[in-house]
Amino acid sequence: MTRAPLLAIALLFTTLPCLAAEKGDAAAGKTKVYTCSGCHGITGWKNAYPNYHVPKIAGQNYDYLINALTEYKKGERSHPTMRAQGESLSEQDIRDIATYLSSITP
Amino acid sequence: MKRLFASLLITTLACSAGSAFAKGDIEAGKAKAVVCQACHGADGNAGTDPQYPRLAGQYHDYIERALHEYKTGDRKNPIMAGFATTLTDEDIVNLAAYFSSLPTKLTDLHDHVQGD
Repeated sequence: MTRAPLLAIALLFTTLPCLAAEKGDAAAGKTKVYTCSGCHGITGWKNAYPNYHVPKIAGQNYDYLINALTEYKKGERSHPTMRAQGESLSEQDIRDIATYLSSITP
Repeated sequence: MKRLFASLLITTLACSAGSAFAKGDIEAGKAKAVVCQACHGADGNAGTDPQYPRLAGQYHDYIERALHEYKTGDRKNPIMAGFATTLTDEDIVNLAAYFSSLPTKLTDLHDHVQGD
């Protein structure tokens, strides 16, 4: 009678970290950011028409990166180059890239 | 002719150098940034909830661009639309100057690619 709730609690605590983490593979992400570095890897690189600096993305927060890439993939964010990049990425790619980028410190 | 070339060079250099620095008023931006801190952190590094981006040390012109896109609706985010629509162009320049001036945890991908 008392064992069932205990088991449920034990199960909850063992699965919680898995649910919270659900992150990608940083090592795989490091190889997948090769294309990104064409713009995001050049210090001071600017977007043309309109003219503004391409954002710094290394060290950015994981969930924000997931949302941004997913929005580009779905066409909900309008930048043409990033939309094309987003479309080429699977959900696993996005998780791997976000995991790697968010792990970087300056 | 030499003088013309020299003055052209100086003007070009002055323009390109100027664009690297924020034009806004950092202090005015700081005063305006109080509401931003709830999500983006007191230091602009959004350390408590990873759904919000770190702004500290981001390029000022990228922050300006993002705020203008939220304001016009080109970039859709219900929370940011609510704030951005209340901002003037001057507020946006000042906020961008302030956040870009803060100590950063961001960098570009230089030296962070496989094989580097």
